Amino acid sequence: MNALQSDLFSALPELWVLSMAMVILLLDLFLKPQQRILIYLASQLTLLGAGVLTVVTHVPTVGYAFNAMFVDDTLSDVIKVMMYIGTSLILVYSRQYLQLRGMFRGEFYALVLFSLAGMMVMASGQHFLTLYIGLELLSLSLYALVALDRDNVRATEAAMKYFVLGALASGMLLYGMSMLYGATGSLHISEVSSRLMNGGDHHAVMVLGLVFVVAGMAFKLGAVPFQMWIPDVYEGAPTVVTLLIGSVTKLAAFAFVIRLLIQGLAVLAVDWQNMLVIMAVLSIAIGNITAIVQTNLKRMLAYSTISHIGFLLFGFMSVSGNGLASAFFYIASYTIMSLAAFGVILLLSRQGFEADTLDDLKGLNQRSPWYAFLMMITMFSMAGIPPTLGFYAKFTVLQAALQAGYLWVVVFAVLMAAIGAYYYLRIVKLMYFDEPQDHSPIVAPFGMKAALSVNALSLLALGLLPQILMSICAYAIVQSL
Amino acid sequence: MSMQTIYLLIPLLPLFAAAVVGLFGSRLPRASAHWLTIAGVAASFGLSVYVFMDVLQGYEFNGPVYTWLTSGGHSFEVGFLIDRLTAIMMLVVTFVSLMVHIYTVGYMAEDPGYSRFFSYISLFTFSMLMLVMANNFMQLFFGWEAVGLVSYLLIGFWYKRPTAIYANLKAFLVNRVGDFGFLLGIGMVLYYLGSLDYAAVFSVAPQFADAKVEIIPGQPWSLMTVTCILLFIGAMGKSAQVPLHVWLPDSMEGPTPISALIHAATMVTAGIFMVTRMSPLFELSETALSFVLVIGAITALFMGFLGIIQNDIKRVVAYSTLSQLGYMTVALGVSAYSVAMFHLMTHAFFKALLFLGAGSVIMGMHHDQDIRNMGGLRKYMPITWITSLIGSLALIGTPLFSGFYSKDSIIEAVKFSSIAGSGFAYFAVLAGVFVTAFYSFRMYFLVFHGKERWMEAAHHDHDDHAHDDHHGLGPHDKPHESPWVVTLPLVLLAIPSLAIGYVAIEPLLFGGFFGDAIKIDQTAHPAMHELAQHFHGALAMATHALTTPPFLLAAAGVALSWFFYMKRPDIPAAIKARCNGLYQLLENKYGFDDFNEKVFAGGSRLLGGVLWRTSDVKWIDGFVVNGTARLIGRISAVVRHLQSGLIYHYAFSMIIGAFLLLSFVLFRLL
Amino acid sequence: MIFQDFVFYTLAAILLIAGLRVITARNPVHAALFLVLAFFTAAGIWLLLEAEFLAIALVLVYVGAVMVLFLFVVMMLDINLDRLREGFWSYLPIAAVVGVLMAVEMALVLSGRYFIEAAAPVAKPAGYSNTAELGRVLYTDYLLPFELAAVLLLVAIVAAIALTLRERKDSKFIDPAAQVQVKRNDRVRMVSMPSYTEPEAEQAQQELKP
Repeated sequence: MNALQSDLFSALPELWVLSMAMVILLLDLFLKPQQRILIYLASQLTLLGAGVLTVVTHVPTVGYAFNAMFVDDTLSDVIKVMMYIGTSLILVYSRQYLQLRGMFRGEFYALVLFSLAGMMVMASGQHFLTLYIGLELLSLSLYALVALDRDNVRATEAAMKYFVLGALASGMLLYGMSMLYGATGSLHISEVSSRLMNGGDHHAVMVLGLVFVVAGMAFKLGAVPFQMWIPDVYEGAPTVVTLLIGSVTKLAAFAFVIRLLIQGLAVLAVDWQNMLVIMAVLSIAIGNITAIVQTNLKRMLAYSTISHIGFLLFGFMSVSGNGLASAFFYIASYTIMSLAAFGVILLLSRQGFEADTLDDLKGLNQRSPWYAFLMMITMFSMAGIPPTLGFYAKFTVLQAALQAGYLWVVVFAVLMAAIGAYYYLRIVKLMYFDEPQDHSPIVAPFGMKAALSVNALSLLALGLLPQILMSICAYAIVQSL
Repeated sequence: MSMQTIYLLIPLLPLFAAAVVGLFGSRLPRASAHWLTIAGVAASFGLSVYVFMDVLQGYEFNGPVYTWLTSGGHSFEVGFLIDRLTAIMMLVVTFVSLMVHIYTVGYMAEDPGYSRFFSYISLFTFSMLMLVMANNFMQLFFGWEAVGLVSYLLIGFWYKRPTAIYANLKAFLVNRVGDFGFLLGIGMVLYYLGSLDYAAVFSVAPQFADAKVEIIPGQPWSLMTVTCILLFIGAMGKSAQVPLHVWLPDSMEGPTPISALIHAATMVTAGIFMVTRMSPLFELSETALSFVLVIGAITALFMGFLGIIQNDIKRVVAYSTLSQLGYMTVALGVSAYSVAMFHLMTHAFFKALLFLGAGSVIMGMHHDQDIRNMGGLRKYMPITWITSLIGSLALIGTPLFSGFYSKDSIIEAVKFSSIAGSGFAYFAVLAGVFVTAFYSFRMYFLVFHGKERWMEAAHHDHDDHAHDDHHGLGPHDKPHESPWVVTLPLVLLAIPSLAIGYVAIEPLLFGGFFGDAIKIDQTAHPAMHELAQHFHGALAMATHALTTPPFLLAAAGVALSWFFYMKRPDIPAAIKARCNGLYQLLENKYGFDDFNEKVFAGGSRLLGGVLWRTSDVKWIDGFVVNGTARLIGRISAVVRHLQSGLIYHYAFSMIIGAFLLLSFVLFRLL
Repeated sequence: MIFQDFVFYTLAAILLIAGLRVITARNPVHAALFLVLAFFTAAGIWLLLEAEFLAIALVLVYVGAVMVLFLFVVMMLDINLDRLREGFWSYLPIAAVVGVLMAVEMALVLSGRYFIEAAAPVAKPAGYSNTAELGRVLYTDYLLPFELAAVLLLVAIVAAIALTLRERKDSKFIDPAAQVQVKRNDRVRMVSMPSYTEPEAEQAQQELKP
């Protein structure tokens, strides 16, 4: 194998996903509307193939490719497999929703796959430029996806906001990267890291760059004070796109943080940890408190995302394998929870009806005890009530923060989590103790019902056996850093 | 089948039944709901008996059955500790639960939530078993929370009644206060004693007997005292001790079978069980024991008074439960743990009996719960009458009845104790005997004897506890005896209420039954020892009791209630008119509720209202206007305002955010 | 060197002024033209750096293609900038304060000459092709970002088409499915009107009619 071949071999899953996205774009041209199910199947096949490629080409060592701009390590492989699973679930959940709203078109699937490719690049980026382009590939696809429901004014407005603010965040990120380049003279993550260790006299410039890099990342994650877009975009975007933004993209953002802050700027840990603590505390406080007064379910979940991100940041408080593994575990758990919660919203949506207000959940137990039960598990998990997955996730990140010596911050977070439990429990209360407002039957394809059931039950199963997921996360972190 | 499998099956069978009935109950035939759950609990009861026999042979088990997670050097396991203490609790829980399951078939026959109810009570049985079988604090806490959750669901079972929703939130929130203390206590145990496993904790605990902690710098407190008091705060919440008792009377909004199962026989005694289990810790702190004793004594006496003025049949029994829980706590305070367990057991039987009897009366009265509208029911409901009489006699401590042995043992134990507060406690439990006898027989006479008042009552309005869906009897209806599924549990519960004390007192209290499960510091707390010295057999105890103050007081209480409510019903009314202030004090339940509502502004009702009122606007108003919650409301409002939807506001906030981060970092740098 | 410095500062000054005018010009066409000027001067600065290919590409692509298109759009759309600029002055003070403070902070950091002082580049030999070198780097070292950037453009195209391609407005085609699904409320609006109208109201209506 010559150099190029081995490079391409490392990036095989990305190439496959990108090629298939283009194939799907072309395929769409030749299909009649009633044959579009093929596109759906092709997309699922793409994800399956990508999964196979990722697993088959997996080696436990760290391999660099493309002039060390791209890395193929265990962490990236594990994150990518999680992304495939998440995206696959999104596609399962979204099919009926898209069909009923005239959005069941090739572009949706192509854009989802393009955004997936962007996320994969973010997970594997080892160079400021690759990371940035991956981020833009993801963001641009998302902007388009948010606006895809063209006649929906709210969606268009949300897309506009997302686009403008995203551009601003990208600008900040780029500015920060340019400062870091100025201080270290390199864009390679590993070189930046090694030069940081050697030369300490550029500290101020590096910190300046760091601030902007952190700001850019915080925007992607949705941490306070860069969270403003989240509620509006979550609410305005079509629910399927909200599902995408609210679940798997956070995995990519997590990888982004690992690549930039941990692998690249670990030397500056003291500086960015201070920023992260502030953002974490604010996110948890504002997320949980504001969520209480929301009446829109998607908006409420948006604020819940913000608070979850705050918890995630606690995992970065200790740059130990333990802390990072707990952060990884947290974001993986969050992704599963978020998929389940939005899955229920999609399940209850019908033609011309979005089940996105809290009132729509009223009396769900009378309409369908099973889905009420699934939603209850999901809400318990989000609230962090044992023995669900969410409990263990919160537990480990808080433990990591405690080990890093942030006692009072942890106490505060626990207090806020207790406040947060109320709005999750309010949903449980609405489902079980209120009279349903509509009695229409819940219609969904069997695949969706089955997938949603597995999705929500996994919160319980993994909560009982957290060691499985935890060991995967810890293994990925240990093997890669 | 290995013993471990049996241990696992005991909690899992009810859980399985609960899951099947809960998830698929609406699709299955109605009868399958009770058959499945009854079969599950019955099997569980059978296996518990088997385990009990096994334990009597001297076999014990302590070990993990499943490791949940290992983290930071601590592993959290699901493990069972099966010793005699556990075995007896398992027996009580599964037996009462089985009785309640059977009873429910009749009681809830017409309720639309039939299968849901069975699923909940089976789930409760599972949780309670997990709680008592735990061999570590983590699992104890899990069971603790789970029983709380199911209790919360069951109190609000009739969710269409606002009072029920209010009551369940109150229960939930008050229990949160207790749980907070409990969790802190567990945290202290983990932090200082380095383990969550009972055996490990108990073995290292004596080394920490004199350890000090400084929670407030410069104020060293005894580690054991702080830990035990925190743990006991958890018990106060769950076992409804003053001042965390306020939720229990309101919990009577739930269906009667769960009042019997959860709020009389099992869940509320979890606190008693927990303290007994923790006896190796509590024995190390004199202060904590005194605290326990005084709280228990206050509960035993003052909650009894409230029973006198209640007119809702279930509330009378509820206040008597509070008072009896106080007795058990008093027993704990004087280190008579086995006596507390003994009373827990007898109380489980006769109080479940009384509640189920009350439920039977309520059914006979067509869901009228006001005792002033009853009277003379003994002719119409003979089985209910006899069994309730047995329950009442057991409750007031009539010699030879089960309640006599346990309650008299408590009183004797207090007498022999010399711990701080025992003087007051002795007075309280003695006075409590009189009060108990008075209110129990007041209820008994008003319900089963005297004039048949329901005819005239049909017209007059129900008072404060009026329930919209309670019909009551019409002027020409006659109450009728309940079906056999209801009376059978009454009879089956009446048997142990009558006889268990006589049979069990000697082996349980003085035969070293509990073995190593309970540790007592003999030299510092000699009450148990003294008690044994004075014990000369169950029959002798009963005959001797005829001349002791408790019996005389009880007899006086019965006689007085007969005189007041049968002979001269005008006297209570006159007293009520004369002592209006006292009456008001009792009517307001000593103002605990008012106090809670006014002082803990963010407390029960407010937050309760916050959660169940559907209109957000109302809720924000209610939220913002009141007390400590005001701050949160304000923050929400401000953030909401900031979330203006205008893109340049967002962009500006991002820039300000970046600017502040930069300033923060530079400030540290320069 | 003096001459080059002079050219640099001149171009830089023009660039800054042009940039400032882009956001302050009242007329959108003027703003677009100032942007063109900014591109030109930027291209000039790149020329000074001997990046000829980039300079020419900037002029050709941005000035020649993008900005011309942009100008057309601005002229055709007739954007009312005054409305967009609403609140500009009321927000200016606080924005200025934050901006100035931020600039001061950055100046504090950057004035310390913390950047790596790269040695002056060695003059390239004759026949050195800037363009060829750029091409080589792009297709070898930077192959991955380059290709990904191409994908990015593709996504932009897909997004633009997906969001804007619509059926022709003058098409008479009617979707039968939509016809079947129509509900009463889509077609008929029930207006509650009093059966008796005030004479004054009638008069007013008659006045309106002509």
